[in-house]
Amino acid sequence: MNVTYMRLEAVRLFRNKRVVIFSTLMPALLVLIIGGVSVGGDADAKKYVMVSMALFGAMTAAISSGGTIAVERGLGWNRTLRLTPLSPAAYVLNKVLLALLVGVLPVLITFIVGAVGLHVRLSPAEWVLCFIGAWLASLPFAALGVVIGYLAKPDSVQQVSALINLTLAAFGGLWVPVNLMPDTLQYIAKLTPSYWTGQVARSPLDHGHIDGQAIAVLAGWTVALALVALRRFRVDTARA
Amino acid sequence: MTNEAVRLTGLTKRFGEVTAVDGLELTIRRGEVVALLGPNGAGKSTTIDMLLGLQRPDSGEVRLFGDAPTKAIARGAVGALMQSGGLLPDLTAGETVRLAAALQRNPRPVDEVLERAGVAEFAGQRVAGLSGGQQQRIRFAMALVVNPDLLVLDEPTTGMDVETRRAFWASMREETARGRTVLFATHYLEEADDYADRIVLLRAGRVIADGSGAQIKAAVSGRTIRASVPGADLARLAALPGVERAEARGETVLLHCDDSDAALRALLAATDARDIEVTSRNLEDAFIALTAAGSIQ
Repeated sequence: MNVTYMRLEAVRLFRNKRVVIFSTLMPALLVLIIGGVSVGGDADAKKYVMVSMALFGAMTAAISSGGTIAVERGLGWNRTLRLTPLSPAAYVLNKVLLALLVGVLPVLITFIVGAVGLHVRLSPAEWVLCFIGAWLASLPFAALGVVIGYLAKPDSVQQVSALINLTLAAFGGLWVPVNLMPDTLQYIAKLTPSYWTGQVARSPLDHGHIDGQAIAVLAGWTVALALVALRRFRVDTARA
Repeated sequence: MTNEAVRLTGLTKRFGEVTAVDGLELTIRRGEVVALLGPNGAGKSTTIDMLLGLQRPDSGEVRLFGDAPTKAIARGAVGALMQSGGLLPDLTAGETVRLAAALQRNPRPVDEVLERAGVAEFAGQRVAGLSGGQQQRIRFAMALVVNPDLLVLDEPTTGMDVETRRAFWASMREETARGRTVLFATHYLEEADDYADRIVLLRAGRVIADGSGAQIKAAVSGRTIRASVPGADLARLAALPGVERAEARGETVLLHCDDSDAALRALLAATDARDIEVTSRNLEDAFIALTAAGSIQ
């Protein structure tokens, strides 16, 4: 891994105001609005909202990272990189690592806002597990970002990403708990990766440990999306 | 270790009906500074793309220091400056060059390169706000920072004003003095003649002439007399002093001359020629003349 390259990639991502607003400021604000006002005095609901928004921020950051591939292809930056020793595989791996790296920030900020603004109280183990869950559960979305990065047009990639992200967030129970949805929607939700992402992130609140089945399903999603990304990536580099 | 920096054999690339590069053969030795000269659409950029492994040839082969392009690039043996695009608007000029250096195994010191390429003065500014000429200097710095054995430049002075252009070539001279191999594409004969040891003329994807600047200039120099000559006898006109070749286009004859002064005197003495125009041959005429005359070697 190349530290200078990663650092500059991260700098670029955070220079994009849209990414900062949607991945970090918006989730933090939603914690205050939904968790502070909408759910009233229900302490469990506040926890639920805080973890959900952390997850939403991490998902958004992860998808944005891969999405930059579309913009870079439009700019001819991928051609520039092909004139360097950086291999195309390393390029994509860097995007995925970056997705995880930048996902830390929204999780951290929403947790701080939750703890300070909403007085959410968790045991140390719950804090750690929820943090790890919300953060690492964004991995399939990093792979999804790469897929979008290779399929979307540079000028529409942000809108496409945002639409997919919001839809998936809904099925992850990030806006409304999935068990309050009609049966059909609950059924559909379980077919999406985001439902299981929500399970991974919130299961420590219910069981004190991360749900193993949800981890397995998410790992499956990550592998499947990574394979699709790999295929798109091969098609793209072969066209040369 | 091979003495050849570049070897292109039977290189061919078609885009639908159009053959952009047509069985191109070219060998460049280490330390040579070669200009790839040709009008727009001659296949210069496509050739360079294939040379750098950015496009796959339909047939033929590219070898850089005996290796496939990707391998030579991975080793840090090749620095390239492409014509347009390829920069990130949200990075500063300095960050861009630093990034390019970070990806190389054995880069030159970034600050030295920023200075050399004339980027230092705007290194802190975002690429998005820079002019075309300034962006071109960033690309140049990115090519230099590789510390390459082979430098490939695709129309490097595009978008530069006269002053920048001069500064660019001055720093290029210092680079080539270090014994680097350089291949640059241009459509300016003057640039090719001033900075290259060897000029390769490209037309319709083929090498039509390959020689020193002096040889190419001799082929390109000369003037053309255009005149209306009623009842012209082409054989007789071609035999006039100073005339190399004569062709007729209806009433109008074209006399391709190596000494247009002598030819004009003789023409006026021998015929009723009128509506006379004398023009110096431009690159495009030279290409036509060279294609007609066959290649000079």
